[in-house]
Amino acid sequence: MWLRFWNGLFKRLQLRESWVIFFALGTIMLNYPFVQIFNRTDTVGGIPLLYLYFMGGWVISIFVIYLFTRASSLSGDHQDEGEQR
Amino acid sequence: MILSIELVTGVSLLYIVFLFMVAYYADKKREAGKSIIANPIVYTLSIAVYHTTWTFYGSVGKAATTGIDFLLIYLGPTLIAFSWWFLLRKIVRIAKENNITSIADFISSRYGKSQWLGAIITVIALLGIMPYIALQLKAVSSTFDILCGYPYVQLPLLHGNFPLSLHTNFFAAIILAVFGVIFGARRLVSSERHEGLVAAVAVESVVKLAAFLSVGIYVTYGLFDGFGDIFSRISSQGKLLDHLTTLGGEGETSYARWFSTLYLAMGAIILLPRQFHVMVIENSNEEHIKKAMWLLPAYMFLINLFVMPIALGGILQTGGILGADFFVLTLPLRNGHSWLTLLAFLGGFSAAAGMVMVESVAISTMILNHLLMPIIVSLNPRPWFPRLLINLKRISIFVVVLLGYLYQTVVGETFMLVNMGLISFAAAAQFGPALIGGLYWRRGNKSGALAGIILGFLFWAYTLLIPSFIMSGWLSKSILDQGPFGIALLKPTELFGLAGFDIWTHSVFWSLLFNVGAYLACSILLDQSDRERDQMRKFVDVFKAKANGVPWETKRMSKPVTIMQFVTLMSKFIGEEQAHTAIAEYLGNREINEQGGVSEFELPKLKRFTEKTLAGSVGAAAAGAIVESYLSDLGTRMEPVYDIFSTVQASLAESREALYVRLRASEIMNRTLDLQIIMDDLLNLVLKEFKLDLAVIRLIDGSGMLRVRSYSGKGIAGITGKDWEPESETYIGEAFLANRIQFVNDTQYIAKPISRELMKREGIKSFAHIPIARKGEQPLGIMSVFSKGIVGLFNEPFLNLLESLAGQLAQAVKIVKEMEEKERERAQKERALLDHARVVNEMEIAKQIQLSLLPSSPPTLPGIAIAGRCQPATHVGGDYYDFFLHGEHGLDLVIADVSGHSVGAALIMAETRSVLRAQASSDKNVDAILATLNELLYDDLTAAELFITMFYVRFNTENRILSYANAGHNPPLVHRDGMTTCTEIDADGLVLGVRREVFFEHRSISLQEGDIVLLYTDGITETQNREGEFFGSARLCDILAANRDRSADEVVEAILREVGTFCGEAPQNDDISMVAFKVLSVPSVDDINESPPQMV
Repeated sequence: MWLRFWNGLFKRLQLRESWVIFFALGTIMLNYPFVQIFNRTDTVGGIPLLYLYFMGGWVISIFVIYLFTRASSLSGDHQDEGEQR
Repeated sequence: MILSIELVTGVSLLYIVFLFMVAYYADKKREAGKSIIANPIVYTLSIAVYHTTWTFYGSVGKAATTGIDFLLIYLGPTLIAFSWWFLLRKIVRIAKENNITSIADFISSRYGKSQWLGAIITVIALLGIMPYIALQLKAVSSTFDILCGYPYVQLPLLHGNFPLSLHTNFFAAIILAVFGVIFGARRLVSSERHEGLVAAVAVESVVKLAAFLSVGIYVTYGLFDGFGDIFSRISSQGKLLDHLTTLGGEGETSYARWFSTLYLAMGAIILLPRQFHVMVIENSNEEHIKKAMWLLPAYMFLINLFVMPIALGGILQTGGILGADFFVLTLPLRNGHSWLTLLAFLGGFSAAAGMVMVESVAISTMILNHLLMPIIVSLNPRPWFPRLLINLKRISIFVVVLLGYLYQTVVGETFMLVNMGLISFAAAAQFGPALIGGLYWRRGNKSGALAGIILGFLFWAYTLLIPSFIMSGWLSKSILDQGPFGIALLKPTELFGLAGFDIWTHSVFWSLLFNVGAYLACSILLDQSDRERDQMRKFVDVFKAKANGVPWETKRMSKPVTIMQFVTLMSKFIGEEQAHTAIAEYLGNREINEQGGVSEFELPKLKRFTEKTLAGSVGAAAAGAIVESYLSDLGTRMEPVYDIFSTVQASLAESREALYVRLRASEIMNRTLDLQIIMDDLLNLVLKEFKLDLAVIRLIDGSGMLRVRSYSGKGIAGITGKDWEPESETYIGEAFLANRIQFVNDTQYIAKPISRELMKREGIKSFAHIPIARKGEQPLGIMSVFSKGIVGLFNEPFLNLLESLAGQLAQAVKIVKEMEEKERERAQKERALLDHARVVNEMEIAKQIQLSLLPSSPPTLPGIAIAGRCQPATHVGGDYYDFFLHGEHGLDLVIADVSGHSVGAALIMAETRSVLRAQASSDKNVDAILATLNELLYDDLTAAELFITMFYVRFNTENRILSYANAGHNPPLVHRDGMTTCTEIDADGLVLGVRREVFFEHRSISLQEGDIVLLYTDGITETQNREGEFFGSARLCDILAANRDRSADEVVEAILREVGTFCGEAPQNDDISMVAFKVLSVPSVDDINESPPQMV
C-alpha cells in the first residue's frame, strides 16, 4: 500500500502544476495573514512558536523539494515536456 | 583579550595560500579534462557564496535587534528553489547555447544584443553592488580590529594622521581585489568559466559553515545548556523575547517589510551578478541544479540554525545589543577561546573574500564587455588586444572593489550590515522584470527593458541610495525632511506622499512599479526589430528551438568572406592559438569547397559561430558589434535573403509555393512528349512564379556545344543569342563540367572576368546555372535563370527547387532522346529492308531475264537428243549455254561460265550471247569463233575485270563428227556406248578476256550411236558435301554410265538429283549448268516427241 502511495505521489510531483502549487502554498504560508496564526508569544517546549514554525516549515520544504527532485529524476525522459506545453 | 596581529595575519596568509592552491589544482585538473568542480555538491557550495559576511555576522546582529525577520533572506531563496528546475534550467540552457558571460550579457542578448542595455545594466550593477562590497570590507576590517585591537596599538609606526580604521579597510580592499585578479583574471579565456575560482569559493563555503556551526554549538551547548535554556533565560528578561519572536507589533517588523524583504531575497539569489555568475555561467551540468535545489536550502538552514541562540546568548552575555553584529567573534573571544575566534574570523573572511572575488570578477566582466568593449570595438583590432583586454579586466576588478571602499568610507558606520546588503538587493531586483519577462513573454522588447530598468534604477537611487548618503551626513538632511527644494511631494522616503512604509518597502514599491509598468507599456506600444525577434526566439523557445527552427538561412552575406578572415578576427580578441582550436573544432564535420572556403549558405553559420566564440570573451553585444564592424570593413554585410516563397515556413520542410511549382512542373512533363513544348512551358512557369527576368535552357549537341534550345522572358541578345562551349572560364561551363549548380547572388562580386563583363553589360544582378542532369549522371544541358532586380535571390530552398526541376527536365530530355534514337533506328532498319527487297526484286527480274536468255528448249534435230539445264546459285548467275543450228545437219553447242555471280557477270553473259549469236551464224570453225569472240569481248571483259571459260562444240548428225574448241573450260565428258568409263575431250585454249590474241586448238572426234556427251560447268564437280568432299567428275561419269540407256533429259535429271542428294542441306555455292546430248540411231518422230522442251 505504501509503495502505491509513493508511486502515486511521485507521479503527481512530476507535474509542473505541482511545483507551482507548492510554490504558491509556500508563499501563502510565509505571508500575512497566514503567519498571523503563529504570531503569538506562546512557546512550545520553551521555544517560541513562530520561530519553531519557520524552522519546522523550512525543514519540511527542503524535504518536499527533495521529493520533487527525486520524482523528476525518475521521469528523466519527460523533463522537457513541461516546457513545451 | 586580543590576539596578536602576527598570528591573525599569519593564519590568514596561510589560508589564502591554501585557497590559491585549491584554485590552482582545480585549474590544472580542468586542463587535464578532469573537472573537480563538475559535481552538484561543489555547485551547491559555490551558490552558497550568497552567504556573505552579512549572514555570517549580520544575521546575528539582526536577530538580536529586530528578531526573527533575519530568516527572510534565506526563506526567500528556499521558496524560489521550487521554480529552479524550470526557471534556472531554462536560463542555464540559454546561457550555454549563447555563450553568455554575465547577467548584463544575458538580458542585453535577449533584447537584440543591445549594447545600451548591457551598458546600463553594468552601471546599475556597479553602483548597486557598491554598498554590498562596502559591507564586506567593513566586516573584514572591523573583525580584524576586534581581534587585534586597533592596529596602531600594535603597530604605531604605520600610523600618521589618518582616520583610525583607514589602514585595515584599505588593506582589506587591496587584498580582496588581488584575490579577485588572481582567481578570476589570470588569463583571458574564451568562455567565462573559472574553475579555480569556483573551487576556492566552494572551499570557503565549507569553512564558513564549519566555523559558524562550531561557534553556534559552542555558544548553545558550551556557554549555555541548549536551545531551551537560552530561550527560557531570555524570556525571564521580560518582553525582549516576545519582541524578537513576533511580527507586526509596535516597533517590530511590519508585514509590509516582511513581504518586501522576502521578495527581494527571492530575486537576489539569482539576480545579483555574482549569484548569476556561479549559478548560470559556472554551471557545468543542468542536472546539478536538481541536487542544488534542496542542498542549498539545507545549507542555509544549517548555517541559520544557531543564529538565534548566538544572538540571544550574546545579549545574555553582554547584557545588551551593542556590537551584536560581531557576537560570533566576540563571544568566543570574551571567553578566551582564541582558536575558535580565529576559526570564526576565517569563516567571516571566507564569506567576504568569496563574495568580493566572485562579485568583482562578474562585474569586471560586465564592465569590460559592456562599457569598454564598445569603445575598443570601434578601434581597429591590433595584435596586442588580448593583453589589453586582460589588463582592462584586472583594472576593472580593482575599480569595483575600490568603489565599495569609497562607499564605505563615505557612508561609514551609519548602517547596520544587513541594511547595507538590502540596498544592493533592491538594485538587483530591477533586473527581475526584464529577465523573467524575457524568458517567457514574446512581446517583451528592448525599449521596454531599457525603459523599465532605467526608471527602476532611478527610483531605486532616489529612494535608497540618496537617503543612505544623507544619513551618513554626506548630503544635506533637509532633503530628507522637507524634500528637495522644499517640495514635500519629492521627499526620497515619502515619494509622492506615500508615507507610513519603511524605506525598503517604499523603494521596492516605487522602483518596481515604474520598472514593470514601463517594461509592459513600451513592450506593448512599440515593435521588436528583426534582430530582437531572432534573439527572442532563441530565448523563449530554447527548449524547442531544435525541433522546428527555420530549416534554412534567412540571411546572407552580401560579399563572401573566407574562413581565414574570421580566424584573423577571432585571434585578435582571444589569441591565435585559441582561435585556431575553435575553428578547427567548428570545421571538423563540415563541407569545405575546393577553394578552401565554405559555401555561401554556411557563411551565416560561420559568422554566428565567430560571434558566439567572441561572446565568450567579450559578451554577446560586443561580439556582435565586433563582427559587424569587421564585416563592414571588408565591404560586406548581412542582408535578408530575398524571400522567394513569400512565406517563411518555420515548420514545413518545403513551402506551399515550392510544392505547387513542383506539381505544375510534373504536369508539364507528363502532358506531352514534345521536348520543345516541355522546355517552353517549364521556363514560363519558372518565370511566372519567381521574380526572374530571363530563363534559358541550353542543351549539349552532337558537337559538344551548349546550344540555346528555349528561353522565356525578355530576350537578351548577349545571353540568348550565345551558345557556349563548356569551359571552366564561365560559370555556365563550370556548372556543366563540374555538374554542380553555379550561382552568383550579387554580380558586383563576381569572380570570372568573362561573366562579369557580360552581366555588367546586361544589368544582371544575380543568376544561377543549374545542370540538367539526373542524379549521378552527366548533365545534358544547363538551365540558367537571371534576375535584373534582385540581389541575393538564390537561397538554399530555391536552388534545391530549381535543381529538382532541372532533374525532372533531364528525365524528360532523356526520354525524348531515347525515343528519337529508337525512331531513327527503326526507320533505318525499314529503309534497309526496303532496299533489300527492291534489290531482291530486281535480282529476281534479272534472273528471269537471264533465264530467258538461255534457250527455252533445245532444238530438235534428227539423230540427236539434247537436254540443257541451268540452276543458278544466286538470283543471277554467270553460267550460259546455247544451241545454234548450223545448216541442216549441223548443231553448235556452247557452254560458258563467266567468273563471279554478279549482275556484271550476268550482263557480260548477255553480251557474250549476242556476240556469239552473231558469230555462230557465220561459217567459221569453232576455233575461229572462239578467237573472234575473245577479240570482241576482250575490252569489255578487261574493263569489268571478268573473264569467261567457254567450250564450243559442233556436231554433224550426218557423219557424227564432233568438232570442238575450248577456252579454258572444264572438259566435257563423253560416255561411249558399251563402255563403263568416260573420256574427257579437251583442246588447248586460254580463257576469254585474258589476252587479246589467243590461239584455240580445233579438234574433233567421231561419235557413235548411244554415245552421251555431257558439257557442264564446274558448279557440278565442285559441289561439296558436309564433310567438304567434292562431287568430282568420277561420280558424274558413274551417273552417265548408270543412265546410258535413258534419254538425255533423264540423264540431266538424274545428275541434278544426285548432286542434290550429295550436298544435302548444304547451300548451293555455284551455278550449276549442263547440256547433255545423246547420239541416236534413226531419227524418228517418237524420239522428238519423247524429248519435250525442258526448262528449269
